[in-house]
Amino acid sequence: MWKNFFNSRKNIIFTGIFIGISAAYLQKLGNPPNMGICVACMLRDIAGALGLHRAEVAQYIRPEIIGFILGSLLAALIFKEFKPRAGSAPLVRFVLGFLSMVGALVFLGCPWRTLLRLAGGDGNALFGLAGLIVGIWIGIFFIKSGYNLGRNQRTHQLVGWIMPVIMLGIFLLLIFQPHLSSGAVFFSSKGPGAQHAPIFISLIIAIAIGFLAQRTRFCTVAAVRDAILIKDTYLLTGVVSLLLAALVSNLTLKQFHPGFQGQPIAHNSQLWNFGGMVLAGLAFTLAGGCPGRQLFLSGEGDADAAIFVLGMVVGAGFAHNFATASSPKGPGLWGPASVITGLIVCFIIGFSMSDLGKKQMGDKK
Amino acid sequence: MKDNFSVVIFYSNSAAIRAESLTKKENLKIKLIPVPRHLSSDCGICLRFNNEDKSKIEKILQDGKVEYENIYRI
Repeated sequence: MWKNFFNSRKNIIFTGIFIGISAAYLQKLGNPPNMGICVACMLRDIAGALGLHRAEVAQYIRPEIIGFILGSLLAALIFKEFKPRAGSAPLVRFVLGFLSMVGALVFLGCPWRTLLRLAGGDGNALFGLAGLIVGIWIGIFFIKSGYNLGRNQRTHQLVGWIMPVIMLGIFLLLIFQPHLSSGAVFFSSKGPGAQHAPIFISLIIAIAIGFLAQRTRFCTVAAVRDAILIKDTYLLTGVVSLLLAALVSNLTLKQFHPGFQGQPIAHNSQLWNFGGMVLAGLAFTLAGGCPGRQLFLSGEGDADAAIFVLGMVVGAGFAHNFATASSPKGPGLWGPASVITGLIVCFIIGFSMSDLGKKQMGDKK
Repeated sequence: MKDNFSVVIFYSNSAAIRAESLTKKENLKIKLIPVPRHLSSDCGICLRFNNEDKSKIEKILQDGKVEYENIYRI
């Protein structure tokens, strides 16, 4: 019976509603505004806490990320879906993870935060959402042209456990907060990095989300992809539920502030809100899922998804060190250049790993 | 009368799309759908067809050199 419970449309709706309400309440409990949950921002904060970048306002080990992976692991173990697998173009996935983070940090949010920003009244997120859809649409063009990253292989049990163990490791750093002479572990004393809900509440909510998302395959990018590519709206109903639930919760909690100016952790350079998310959307689609989904897949043993996540962490370090990440003042010095470069790289990957490239290189028989 | 369906699961979404275009050329009644949850935790897409067309589908996939993981009745 439990197997079927997670199968139907009402469960994806329930998952969307649960994430939407949780995000609003995590914000109420201390997480940054319109950022109750944001996979990109939270991975970025973890990168900062580990010292991979020096943006002093964005350093914290976010227990939500840890919970997503452990919740998915738990669900996969209970329902016998923990399948260690690897070997589907890992380096390409690393690059796509890296670029998706660069794009997301130009906009300032992952697809989840795009929805949460909308639900908080941030009109700038409309441009991010439009960019996301265009990016996914370009990705679909490549999928239709035969783009794929190749098969993965079943592998040793140990491989599937690496990511969950890393999560346990950084959880210990969060709990004990050791201070080395280098300054690590870094925790922000001001800014968004200093804003957080109580650790165990965040962790438990995130474990529940990871569990539900593993069961229902909740994914924002595949939701748009399936709606366009095969006219299927199963995943999309979950995404819409998330948006509506967060909106209603924000209205109830008086966290809804409509407008374009002065929105929290956002800027109103619309071209780059749009452009950043075109890059992110394309990179997610080429890698097969949104960053949340990549975390849940990491939890059920997918080492390729884990590589994507690590690419995102390194990308976050790069984005802040090399001034490609935006701030509330606007895009970083090298933000626009990074988006254009990233798009060129994604197009090269899309072309060369699809039939388009094969024809040109003459290796199609 | 209720139709009896099976699905072909592929290793990539591109393969599913290729299979769709190959089978459509043969006028078979097929549809791309998300992979049924009980078959896989992947969020990919698969090809659904009427059971009676199974041998034709297998031949088309073989002739078109489309690699697939498995065929399941649903």
